[in-house]
Amino acid sequence: MPIGQRVAFIGGGHNALIAAFYLAKGGFEPVVLERREIVGGGAITEEFHPGYRGSTLAHTLGPLRPDVARDLRVEKFNCEILLPDPRVFAPALNGESLLFYDDHAKTAAGIARLSAKDASKYTEFAASLEKISNVFAQLSTITPPSINKPSPEDLWNLLKTGRGVRGLGKHGIFDLLRWGPMAVADFVAEFFETELLRAVIAARGIFGTALGPWSAGSTAVLLLRAAADANPVGSAAFCRGGLGTFTHALAESAKQAGAEIRTNAEVVHIRIKNGAVTGLVLADGDEIPVEAIVSSVDPKRTFFQLMDPSQLDPTFALRIRNIRANGSVAKVNFALNDLPTFPSLSAAVGADGFRQAALSGRIHVGPEIDYLERAFDASKYGEFSGAPYLDLTIPTLLDPTLAPPGKHVLSAYVQFAPYKLKNGNWDTRRKDLGETVIKTIAAYAPDFRELVEAWQVITPQDLETEYGLTGGHIFHGELALDQLFTMRPVLDWARYKTPIRGLFLCGSGTHPGNGLTGASGANAAREIIRELR
Amino acid sequence: MTQHYDVIVIGGGHNGLVNAAYLAKAGKKVLVLERRHVLGGAAVTEEIIPGYLFSECSYVVSLLRPEIIRELDLPRHGLEILPLDGTFSPMPDGNHLWRMNDHAKSIREIRRHSRVDAEAYDEFSKMMTPMCRFVKPMLSMVPPDPTTLNPRDLKQLHFLMQRFRELSSDERYTLIQLMTMSSADFLDQWFETDVLKATMSASGIIGTFLGIRSPGTAYVLLHHYMGEIDGAFRSWGFSRGGTGAISNAIAAAAREAGVEIRTKAPVGKILAKEGRAAGVVLQSGEEITANVISSSVDPHLTFEKFLEPSELPADFLEGVRRYKFRGSSGKVNIALDALPEFKSLPGEGAHLRGAISISPSMEYMERAYDDAKYGHYSRRPYIDMVIPSLTDPSVAPPGKHVLSCFVQYAPYKLAEGTWDDQREAFGDNVIDTISEYAPNIKNIIVGRQILTPLDLEREFGLTQGNIFQGELSLEQLFFLRPIAGWAYYRTPIDNLYMCGSATHPGGGIMGANGRIASQVILKEWKKTAVSRQTKTGTTNGAQSSTEPVTSTAARSAKEQN
Repeated sequence: MPIGQRVAFIGGGHNALIAAFYLAKGGFEPVVLERREIVGGGAITEEFHPGYRGSTLAHTLGPLRPDVARDLRVEKFNCEILLPDPRVFAPALNGESLLFYDDHAKTAAGIARLSAKDASKYTEFAASLEKISNVFAQLSTITPPSINKPSPEDLWNLLKTGRGVRGLGKHGIFDLLRWGPMAVADFVAEFFETELLRAVIAARGIFGTALGPWSAGSTAVLLLRAAADANPVGSAAFCRGGLGTFTHALAESAKQAGAEIRTNAEVVHIRIKNGAVTGLVLADGDEIPVEAIVSSVDPKRTFFQLMDPSQLDPTFALRIRNIRANGSVAKVNFALNDLPTFPSLSAAVGADGFRQAALSGRIHVGPEIDYLERAFDASKYGEFSGAPYLDLTIPTLLDPTLAPPGKHVLSAYVQFAPYKLKNGNWDTRRKDLGETVIKTIAAYAPDFRELVEAWQVITPQDLETEYGLTGGHIFHGELALDQLFTMRPVLDWARYKTPIRGLFLCGSGTHPGNGLTGASGANAAREIIRELR
Repeated sequence: MTQHYDVIVIGGGHNGLVNAAYLAKAGKKVLVLERRHVLGGAAVTEEIIPGYLFSECSYVVSLLRPEIIRELDLPRHGLEILPLDGTFSPMPDGNHLWRMNDHAKSIREIRRHSRVDAEAYDEFSKMMTPMCRFVKPMLSMVPPDPTTLNPRDLKQLHFLMQRFRELSSDERYTLIQLMTMSSADFLDQWFETDVLKATMSASGIIGTFLGIRSPGTAYVLLHHYMGEIDGAFRSWGFSRGGTGAISNAIAAAAREAGVEIRTKAPVGKILAKEGRAAGVVLQSGEEITANVISSSVDPHLTFEKFLEPSELPADFLEGVRRYKFRGSSGKVNIALDALPEFKSLPGEGAHLRGAISISPSMEYMERAYDDAKYGHYSRRPYIDMVIPSLTDPSVAPPGKHVLSCFVQYAPYKLAEGTWDDQREAFGDNVIDTISEYAPNIKNIIVGRQILTPLDLEREFGLTQGNIFQGELSLEQLFFLRPIAGWAYYRTPIDNLYMCGSATHPGGGIMGANGRIASQVILKEWKKTAVSRQTKTGTTNGAQSSTEPVTSTAARSAKEQN
């Protein structure tokens, strides 16, 4: 096929923008079609209350995979990455709290207050996580191998991975094999005795998934995330102006590379003839003839909403239908007229200053393993948790421009909130959820309630209708052992291609998925270019 | 004078006896030491209430390896398996689901609940068959070590990879799911009928501290499904005279092969010198020496009770301490003077001859688990009942019956109180639960035996009351069972081996563990026989005896010369 052909992207999320960039560089003519008036998908900045702007959905960066960051040079397109230190503040109800820094020794010093044993273990833990994360980091850059006829490149990749694994040593390999399928609660218990510490680290294995810390396999999710950032508590990377600035920079970078980007351009149908794509139909009736289509929206939407499923091979269709993608996350954004005070913070930082700095990263609410597990229990029966696990950020501490002078924005990820409610629907329960979150935060920051000026609740239902995430799943599909690597999105089709000629996937629903790392988009671009050349 | 044997087997459970029988058939002089007054370990029959024979712990059989039945000629030694036909699941709304071994009948019954499921059920059975075929050979192999480049291990791994690649795409898809998913998620893809999914998923949680929604349980489902495809007579069944009869048959075969068996002979200590096992000391103080010690009891007892920490490598000991037992089930055995009447299907019918499963819905099962997670026995537990006396009248007085109830969940560690003061309440709760489906149960009880996880530990030596000598969770299977790096029946102590359910392929009355362990022991015996000849205990004139030592020990020995 000739270079310079037209490739249309469905959806303007970060993965699409990144893939479009690489295709443009590769000499193609990518055109990104975004349904909403702004690009960015889940990584956007919006004014959710007059004068208050924030990263309404995703609130921290992945972070972006280093090679991708290097290629797209986002900083050149006025996207300033802000890296708070400490990264995480974790309050407990007993007045205790922990701070997690870039510097493990510094973190350990704080942990020592609660347990000398854990303090000494912490650095050891960080080290072994680092070692293993390298293997996963390598895995996240490759295209899952074909099982039927592995290509020489597949074998080479596997060999490389194999070498990486062997590098872990006998002990390391067995740990890897043991940990993968383990419940993250057991995993952290192998190292630590302090509940608060266990909970903060375990949370990384359940964030955004329908797993509790006692669910087997949750450790695999934690290890997968360690690939993006090996710090035990993960990353807390912001962007001045909110994540919208970040995706905007990606868009600018892609444009400069030669990509075309259209907003308010909703794709409603994929035209297929003799098993190959021929064009797209937009909501306004426009038809765009294309040689190839790259869908960055989730697999279920791609194959069941945007085309006539009868075009699909039944086995493939069944596997897509079987993808578990019922979300468990809701989002609440608060407009605050002042900074909430967390009394337990003094335990961690002492009477002296740094209070603001200490809150400028992520705030983990979920002080015990059982607390997290109970939060999960509710969702199994179609209820949202009365005492949910929260991941909070106050972006205005590092970036005051987001709110009026002296005012603040608090962004809350809420788990667990099931997509399907047993009683009532999300429109009638929306307020309850907001109230529940206020009540939960107030337990750690007593003055919180009176600081709230306004709030915006984004339910799993909204995630589907407003952000186009089928089932309201922020990762386009559960991150579980049976839906990772060669099984993501489905077995036999984990290489970004689809059974429809000229149709590709590049979204979070493909390997490795999971967060704003851009890995899916970059990997997909590599395969697409190879295919179309 | 102290007696000397080629091999001492610790524990007279089914695996210990199988292990002993095979070693004796190979000409070794073998002694089996059983702590209790009866053989069988958890596969035992006892007359707890006069006239009533209880299969106290393990109560049905399906996984007993056919090669063992054949090679030990168990039928001749009195083994007789009687069929257990079907599973009957009563529901609170007065309806029920009754699956039978007769596939067509089951499908007709399922159609009553859902046409779609009736068709899916057929598909499902067709799909499970190749799955079991794939896993079966793994049940009789020594797990390979995935970390070495040793050709033997690589060959085995390659063999498994090849067999995987030979599967059709659909088979691979299903196999991967079975290895990684929760039984609930797995079954959700196939069926819509709640009670059907709940009852099927139940076999995915037995003996684990996991809920039906916990990933990894789909494998356990397969593990239990396996028995069912071996054709009629080896599918789930009772053994005549109770489960103990199986152990007795194996014991008879062992004795015939020359095995010496001592009951009421509790081991107190394993004698180890310079990292080599040399014998055992009974709690009575009696000392017995042997070239090889084969332990069929779990790793906790073997390494933490019978040995000194100082005698083991630190990282191995760490692995032993980390090994998860977490008993999650109890057993209530009831003597009845009449049959229970189920609301949904009154009268004495064939449905009472099969398994009766209290698993009305997925939510019911999951909530039972939630109670246990926080240290309470399930307020409404999953119960698997059988009435063996209907199939085998010899276990109860004429016209009377035995009701065996497997109860999950019952966590070993309770949040409040101890099992000693909650035992009766636990039993009452089980009977209350049953009475919701069979109201007459309370009026027909003659007597009952309640076994909590604590009792399983005390009475039967199952640490933390885990019926499989350790959880069947993914991180404790195949080359990770019982301890990563030690899944080969060997231990860091030369001449000390493991042959119980804590080894691959895990629990259930399979006997595979004991059989494979015997092969490993005999193989190394040959190996070391050539590597080094030594005289052994003069007390035994047995032809065979040359002392096995692992290559490392052999090397160090050579260096000394």
